[in-house]
Amino acid sequence: MRYLRLYACFLRFSFSRALEFRLDFWFRVGMDTLWYAAHLAFFTLLHEHTDLLGGWTVDQTRIFAAALFVSDAINMTVFSNNLWWFPIFVNRGDLDYYLVRPVSPLFFLSLRDFAANSFVNLLLALGILGWALARYPGPIGPGALGVFLLLLGLGAFLQYALHFLCLIPVFWMHQGRGLMEVSWSAQRLASQPDGIYRGWARRVLTSLLPYALIVSFPVRALFAADLGPLLAHSLLVCLGAFALLVAAWRRGLKAYSSASS
Amino acid sequence: MIRVRQLSKQYTVHEKEPGLRGSLKALFRRRRTVKQALRSVDLDVAEGEIVGLVGPNGAGKTTLVKVLAGIVHPSAGEARVLGAVPWERSNEFRRQIALIMGQKAQLWWDLPAGDGFLLLREIYGIERGRHARNLGELCEMLGVKAELKVPVRRLSLGERMKMELIAALLHEPRVVFLDEPTIGLDLTAQRAIRDFLLAYRERHRPAMLLTSHYMEDIERLCERIVILREGERIYDGSLREVVRRYAPHRVLTAHLAPDAGGAPDAAGLAAGGRVLESTAALLRLSVPRDRVATTAAEVLRRWPVRDLSIDEEDVGTIIERIFRARGEEAP
Repeated sequence: MRYLRLYACFLRFSFSRALEFRLDFWFRVGMDTLWYAAHLAFFTLLHEHTDLLGGWTVDQTRIFAAALFVSDAINMTVFSNNLWWFPIFVNRGDLDYYLVRPVSPLFFLSLRDFAANSFVNLLLALGILGWALARYPGPIGPGALGVFLLLLGLGAFLQYALHFLCLIPVFWMHQGRGLMEVSWSAQRLASQPDGIYRGWARRVLTSLLPYALIVSFPVRALFAADLGPLLAHSLLVCLGAFALLVAAWRRGLKAYSSASS
Repeated sequence: MIRVRQLSKQYTVHEKEPGLRGSLKALFRRRRTVKQALRSVDLDVAEGEIVGLVGPNGAGKTTLVKVLAGIVHPSAGEARVLGAVPWERSNEFRRQIALIMGQKAQLWWDLPAGDGFLLLREIYGIERGRHARNLGELCEMLGVKAELKVPVRRLSLGERMKMELIAALLHEPRVVFLDEPTIGLDLTAQRAIRDFLLAYRERHRPAMLLTSHYMEDIERLCERIVILREGERIYDGSLREVVRRYAPHRVLTAHLAPDAGGAPDAAGLAAGGRVLESTAALLRLSVPRDRVATTAAEVLRRWPVRDLSIDEEDVGTIIERIFRARGEEAP
C-alpha cells in the first residue's frame, strides 16, 4: 500500500514536470508515431512477398507489430528513463541518496521517473492494438485475450529485468555506455516474430536470452489451442529473471564504491 | 549512538601511464593497486554531539561517512549506528538517519522543493500533522518559507542548500551525516547554515558527524574533532586540546601609537618565538605560551601601545601542521 502511494507520488510529479516542457512532450509523440507507421509499413511490405512470416498471416503479424508498440511504449513510459540514468548514478555516486532512504532502492530507481511524455504514445499504441485485434478475421475468445494481456504485462516486466541485468556490471566496469548498447541490440531480438527462428536459436531465445517471451509469446496466446504451457513458461522465466536481478543487484551493491567528494 | 571498531576499507584502483601509449598498454594489462581508505578506525559519537572529521583530501573522511550511512561496505571491522549494522540497510535504520552532501542534490531539480518534501513524507511515512509541523519549524529557522513553491533549479546555491537541509531533517533523524554542507556557499550563507545547525542541535539533540574543508565550520560547530590522515585516525579529542597541544605559541599583536618612533626592534623580546611583523604602527610576535604575560608587559613598558591583543594560532594552520608531519610519529 505504501509503495502504491509512493508510485502515485512519482506519477504526479512526473506529469507536473513533463508538462513544463511542452515542446519535448509533442516532439516525442511525433517521433513515436513515425516509428509506429514505419514498422507497420515494414511488416505490410514483407507480406507482399510472402503469405506467412514465421508461420503468421498478415493479420497476425499486424497484431504482433501492435503488441510490440504497446510493449515498447510501456517500457519507454515506465522504466526506460530510470534505467538510462542508472549507470550515470553509479559512476557519479548519485546512487548514495537512493541507498539511504527507507524504501527498496531497486523500486525507487526503477520507477521514480514516469515518462509522462511517452504516456500519449502508450495510448496511441493501445489504440493501434485495438484496431489490429478488431481487424483480425478469426474469433478471439475472452480467455485468450486475458492471457494475452497478462503475458504482455509479464513481457514488459521481463524486458525491464533483462535490461537492468545488462546494466548491473557497471558496478565493476564503471562505464555504462557499452552495456546500454548491448542491451538495446539484444532487445531487437524481441522485435521479430519468434517463428522465424529455428533450432538452437529458438531455444536460446525462449530460455537463456528469453527475448521471444516479450512480445511473441503473448501474441501466440491469442491463437494457441493450449494456453497453459505458454503461461507457465512465461511465469517461470519472469520469476527466474527477477531472482537473478535481485541477486546481481545485491552483489553489485557490495562492490559499489560511490564517488569521491 | 555511533560505535566503530577497527573499521577498514580498501579500494582497488587501476593505474595507467599517461598518454595514448599508456592507454593502449592498459587495454591489455593493467596495474592494480590497493588503496587503503580507512585503517582500523575506532570512533564513538554520543547523542547531541557534533564531531568534526578533519583531514586533507583522500584522508578517508567521506569514506567513513559513507560506510556509517550504509552506502559503502567496509573491508573489515565493526560499526553500529543506533544499534544497527549500517551496510545491512534495514528500513528501521534508514528511517533514523540523514545524509547531507554539499556536492550532491537530492531534491527534484525541475519541481518546487515543496513537492519534493511531499515525496519525502511518503518515503519516510511521516504523519501529515508532524510533517507540517516539522516543515514549518525548519522553514522558519532557515527563513525559506517564500521559496517553497519555486522550482529548485531557480533557487540560489544558498537557498538550495537550505532546502537540502530541510529535506534531510524533515523526518527528525537521530543521526545526521554532513559531508561538506557549506561547500561553495558565500560567507553569509555559510554562517546561516552553521547557526541553523547549532540551533537544530540544541532543539533535537541528534548525533552529528561533519566533514568540511572550511575550518570555520569545524571551529564553530564541533567541540570534538577526529583527525584522519591516509585513512588512519591520528587524533580524537577536543578542539581546544588540539590547540593547546599543537600550538605552543600564541600571537601577540600590539597596535602602536603614532609617536612610537619607527619600526620597533623587538628581536630580543621574542625569545623562543619570532617576530611576525614589525612596522611603525604594528608589532606582531609569536610567543611561547609560558612567556606571553612577561612579553606583553615588556611590550607595554617599551612602546606606546594603543591596543594589545593575544590570540591563538589559526586552527587551520595548526591542523595543517599536523598533516604535514607525515611520516613522523603520529601525534
